[in-house]
Amino acid sequence: MKRLPIAVWLIVPGAAALVFLMGGPVAVLTIDSLRPYIPGSIRAGEGYTFANYLELAKPAYFNYAYETFRIGLIVSTFSVAMGAPLAYVAVRSKRAVVRKGLLTLLVGLLVMSLIARLYAIEMTWGSHGPLAFIGAFVSGLAPRSPRYAEVLVSIGLMHFTIPIVALMLVGAFRALSPRLEEAAASLGATRSEAILTVVLPLAAPAMVSAYLVSLAMCISNFVAPLLLGRGVVVFTTNLMYTRFTDIGNYQAGAAIGVFMLIASFAVVYGLATIAKKLLPSVVPTR
Amino acid sequence: MKPLDLPLRIVALAVVATTVAFLLAPLLVACLLSFDNRSFLGPFPPKDFSLRWYRSFLDNPAYLDGFWMSVHVAVIAGAISTAIGTATALALADPRLPGRDAIEAVFLSPKFVPTVVIGFSLLVFTAFIGIYDPFVRLVMGHTIITIPFTIRAVSASLVALKRSHIEAAMSLGASEPRALWDVAVPAARSGIVAGGAIAFVLSFDEVAVSLFLSDAFTQTLPIALVAEMRANLNLTIAAVSTVFLAATLALLFVLDRTLGIERLAGDVGARG
Amino acid sequence: MTLSMNRRSLLAAMSAAAATSAGPVFGQARGEQLLVVMWGAQWIEVCRPIGEEWMRATGDRIQWELHAGGAMGIVGRMRPLFPRIQQNLVAAWDPVFDAMIEADWLEPVSETEMPALKEIPEIFFKKDKQGRKVTVPLSTAGAFWGYRTDLVDKPIESIEQLLEPRFKGKLCVPVPVNLSGLLMVSLAIQRGGNERNIEPGWQFLKELAQRGNIGRVVANNSEMINAMSQGDLSVAFWNTGGWQAVRERFPSRLLTRLNDNKGFLFNEGYVVMKGDNPAKIAAAKRFANHFATAEINTRYNMPLGSGPTNINAKPADAIKDIFYNADELAKYAYIPDYSYMASQVDAWTRRWETEITPLVRQG
Repeated sequence: MKRLPIAVWLIVPGAAALVFLMGGPVAVLTIDSLRPYIPGSIRAGEGYTFANYLELAKPAYFNYAYETFRIGLIVSTFSVAMGAPLAYVAVRSKRAVVRKGLLTLLVGLLVMSLIARLYAIEMTWGSHGPLAFIGAFVSGLAPRSPRYAEVLVSIGLMHFTIPIVALMLVGAFRALSPRLEEAAASLGATRSEAILTVVLPLAAPAMVSAYLVSLAMCISNFVAPLLLGRGVVVFTTNLMYTRFTDIGNYQAGAAIGVFMLIASFAVVYGLATIAKKLLPSVVPTR
Repeated sequence: MKPLDLPLRIVALAVVATTVAFLLAPLLVACLLSFDNRSFLGPFPPKDFSLRWYRSFLDNPAYLDGFWMSVHVAVIAGAISTAIGTATALALADPRLPGRDAIEAVFLSPKFVPTVVIGFSLLVFTAFIGIYDPFVRLVMGHTIITIPFTIRAVSASLVALKRSHIEAAMSLGASEPRALWDVAVPAARSGIVAGGAIAFVLSFDEVAVSLFLSDAFTQTLPIALVAEMRANLNLTIAAVSTVFLAATLALLFVLDRTLGIERLAGDVGARG
Repeated sequence: MTLSMNRRSLLAAMSAAAATSAGPVFGQARGEQLLVVMWGAQWIEVCRPIGEEWMRATGDRIQWELHAGGAMGIVGRMRPLFPRIQQNLVAAWDPVFDAMIEADWLEPVSETEMPALKEIPEIFFKKDKQGRKVTVPLSTAGAFWGYRTDLVDKPIESIEQLLEPRFKGKLCVPVPVNLSGLLMVSLAIQRGGNERNIEPGWQFLKELAQRGNIGRVVANNSEMINAMSQGDLSVAFWNTGGWQAVRERFPSRLLTRLNDNKGFLFNEGYVVMKGDNPAKIAAAKRFANHFATAEINTRYNMPLGSGPTNINAKPADAIKDIFYNADELAKYAYIPDYSYMASQVDAWTRRWETEITPLVRQG
């Protein structure tokens, strides 16, 4: 018999971790989600039921999923629109101090506690924060109206996604040789034309994947709506957490978890597939 | 290279300046508010200043205990994750491994599982198999969420490694494990370091998984912060932010001196 | 200074006495680690120093855990774990007491083990199915509508007025798990219902939400206190402890005597959780007994604006508002069926999610 290549052995620890830390838990979660909930009881009921899923089909819960997704799309759009220029300057600026300063900022934000930043955002953009007037102007919502919580949650999410999007794009821009821009310029293009016609198309795959990563991070985020949502911006993740902490209904929580797992994979892989169909040349293979 | 033409330059400058201001403003406001003397979160700016929130921060043992717990969990989970990530990345670098793309996709998939779901399902699962130690649970949770990132970081550093280098070592008489250890692992060193650093940072700042898996005696720093602030929101959090800011700056200084910020940023970028 | 010296010597004397004489509880070994669950804001502020003095005097170690929102949340979290729970003492109130008694999680308490209980009138205690006392009552508190008089131009005489446009975005209300749904009961009473006939309350709540009058939904004391301190909200339904903090900063009025509605009274206190470590249970009883003594009971209730339960404790001035004579008690106060409410929290939370949150969000 042929000896197994060492690569197969090297896969084993990772595979074991995956099965033990993700496969098993997800399987138990799925089983739990199919069990009936008995109010006030310690254990799940006997038999199996779809009741925990059927409840999620109520329009109000659809609305939570829709709102979560909508905020994710807005935030990801802003993140790429703001992160891409930042990344470009951080790579191509002639001044070393600018490059280094921007990269330090991005890495620093990644390292600094998100919780501390979220509370800082509440103090800055919240109804009495010094920047609330800007938030109100951009969103058209009064800072003290309940819906303004959407602005706060979005800002919180952007603080989380912009550094990641920008650093992903730093990698992409670095991989593009500046010679390409020079070549375009030597053919008579202005610098902005060169950026629009050469750099953007080449960086497009990275921007699409940064957008998708940002979207996936937003819709599965939990802390930003928990701390900044004022009890009215509630993501699907928060509904699940309420099942766990406030009412102890684990079966309903498990059903939301399974739903979110499917939704998250559908968004990431489904959107990538659609994007690949629509823009065959720009989307990376993974 | 030609300079940017004026309109684009203005636009780029405006966007970059706005973004930088947007990212920095909360930290500066928090810094100022941390010296506010009022007992509640009142309108900006503060009028009287004091150090009361720093005292309240230092007086509460939950933060320091949480800090050490976070370091503990992050070091152990980071080490396990880096070891697993390195082994997996080495395997994925072997062209003879069948179904490499599919295997890679599976190994990177934990990244797309919402962390809340990982935390909740691990809680149910560990209770099911009889693991009740919160520290073990935390290490389990933090390991699984960081594995995709360590795989990615090590893989990135192995791109330049050619299979022929390993085969060359083997033709000189080294066994395959020996050849991997002597040739591939040193080549991956920067990726292993970066992967370990990313795993540490991700674990250290993790909230959603830990919220489910920690308990009152075993709390990481972010959980201690969330628990304290949800029950007791006051400007201690501004003092905490400022302390974090100072610590981050110090850390960045050290990172720049040792690894170099520009290189680190490139490695971190590969984590997406 | 002298006060704290006295307290310390008192505690030292107590432990010395305990070491020699001895009821069953006080004879136990020292140095236990206890996990005690308390609310945030003033509750923990007044308790931390009490705990520190206790640790110095007895050698026991007190670790505080804070309720993230309503105390009912902890019942949900303990349910799958019991009896493998770490909490030894939990601060809670009537509906939570009822839920825990129903689940049979509570350790009986007695005057022989906890002498300070002798000074607490019988009526405050809750009993288990065997008729044994299982709570350590510390406060009589309440939940009321109230408003900041500096922000409301015309006095509020009926909560029907809260539908007026001048209150757009001005109301601060709790999520259903908080106060176990007393908000809905209050609104139901206004429209002729009660906790078992809750539908009119939901309809009133929807009207308030539809008009955009609910400006903020809060989940715990500290959120309520911060929200009411910022000046955009002027009216709230909340417990007396949260109101006390607001009243210390801003002129406020509690609507404790409404002609067409009622305020709610309830008891707060400690419960000793069952467990397999008798030494810890004994230590938990010692610490709870300490809170029940006249001196600590006075000190504990002072910043909370609630009434002490120990007959020798001194009530704070602030409780005038919630102190009713017998006639007033019948007219203005209502004590709902808290154990029924405890059973409805799951259903009410989901109804809130599906029917109220979307309306509040639209503003």
